[in-house]
Amino acid sequence: MNTLWNNIFRSSTEEESLAGFLAKVPVFNELEKRDLSYLETLIHVRNYTAQETVFEQSDPGSGMYIIRTGHVVIFTRDSHELEEELAILGPGDFFGETTLASPAPRTVSARTTEGTELLGLFRSDLLATATKHPDIASRILFGLTKMISERLQTATLEIRGLQRKLTEQEH
Amino acid sequence: MNLNKAHFLLFYLTMTAAIASGLAIFSSASNITILFRSAVSGLFVPLLLALVTSFLLDPLVSSLEKRRIPRVRAIFIMFFIVTALLVFTGSWLIPYGQNMWNSLLTDFPRYNTQLIAYLREAQVSWQARLPFLEHYDLTGTVRTAAEQTLSFVLVETPKSALKLGSLMILLPIFTFFFLRDGTTIMRGIVALAPNRYFEMAHDLSFLVNRQMAHFIRGRIIEAIIIGSVVTAGLSVTDIRYAPLLGIFAGITNLIPYIGPLMGMIPGILIAAVDLGIGAQFWWIVILYILIAQVILDNFILIPVLISRVANLHPLLVILAIVMGGKLYGVIGMIIGVPIVSAFKIAFIEVRHYRRAFSLPDTSGDRRS
Repeated sequence: MNTLWNNIFRSSTEEESLAGFLAKVPVFNELEKRDLSYLETLIHVRNYTAQETVFEQSDPGSGMYIIRTGHVVIFTRDSHELEEELAILGPGDFFGETTLASPAPRTVSARTTEGTELLGLFRSDLLATATKHPDIASRILFGLTKMISERLQTATLEIRGLQRKLTEQEH
Repeated sequence: MNLNKAHFLLFYLTMTAAIASGLAIFSSASNITILFRSAVSGLFVPLLLALVTSFLLDPLVSSLEKRRIPRVRAIFIMFFIVTALLVFTGSWLIPYGQNMWNSLLTDFPRYNTQLIAYLREAQVSWQARLPFLEHYDLTGTVRTAAEQTLSFVLVETPKSALKLGSLMILLPIFTFFFLRDGTTIMRGIVALAPNRYFEMAHDLSFLVNRQMAHFIRGRIIEAIIIGSVVTAGLSVTDIRYAPLLGIFAGITNLIPYIGPLMGMIPGILIAAVDLGIGAQFWWIVILYILIAQVILDNFILIPVLISRVANLHPLLVILAIVMGGKLYGVIGMIIGVPIVSAFKIAFIEVRHYRRAFSLPDTSGDRRS
């Protein structure tokens, strides 16, 4: 098959569409196919240029971002304004999900490294969904809770390990 | 030398062109604003009413949507129900209301003369006490004002019926699209915000919208309840025009502080003229002031329906009424206050939002 035909077919495949992309994000694991098309109307697609700030530490946080294309660097600043890089996230990764359920200031900063397409899902949209389509909202929230509790468990285990190490060092 | 001349000519031509195009742009701009103003002049009220109606109907449409009915179908069902209700109550009320309105218009001069008689009595008594007010003719002022009002009503009724006709067409169409595409329109507007401020703009638009819907719904429901309570309370007595007085009290109740006072004047006047000062008169006074305003409105409705947030300073209320009246007449006086409240709600939400997030510094925290 020559490349011309190849391209035409590829652009219409499901993986390339927004819904198909969202289906692969862990938070939306629980959603059915029909819910995904509704989720498409809920998501905000934003385009960022390279080195553009997505949010700064202590900004009011109100939702999560999913990376569709490009890369985002997550970092914190110490008291001397020095940046400490925590992670570089790529396509399919997401960040800021902890503020989706409860409002809180951002604990980290996020900045793009190249031209990036981000999908934003915000608390207010989720609240509006909860009154109109409680079933969809509960499935999204369930996926979110599952992921956050998994993360909490690993964090707990890690803390326990560190505590053990600390007590061993003290003895 | 030649070159210089050419340059000069070029400069001259450029300047002429610039000035000419500047003038053209200026005149067309002022023309355009005039055109724009005359084009939108009749649209402000229908748009605003459509916005209010869509805020009122939105929870009902959403509750239908929750039962898995598609939104457009839910809106049509809602429209059908509302139209059926309007036709039903209209066919029952309009002949009744028409009769009442006509007899009120013939009765109006009688009430007016009586009011003037009361005022003259009062004027004589205070002029005896305060002689320097001798030349101030309150009675005359009120008489001309009342006559003007009557002729205004007589002239404007057919005109407003015409306006009502165009409103009946425009209002459902606007409301339909506000209900169907309201969220999409808001999203489109918010999406214009730059990336850095998008999240905040989106959050604020949601909060302000929610407060606004709450406020408008509360106000309208409050007016309906006050109107029906006054109507019911007046129906107990022998007073005529109880429904009209109730509707008037409900509508004026939309204006804080001054509205309720305006709403009770005609009722108390008619009671004084027709029923004389007796038990029924005092019942009507108590109904207006104590039952409708103090107990129902201040103690029950306002705390339940309307958040304290939207309370306006009396000075702002007066300014809003005067400015609204200057801009859009009687309708402006009624909608001026809600518009100022809307601005206040937006302002307070922004401040509240900023305060909610100015939490202790989190720069010490780390997330891995």
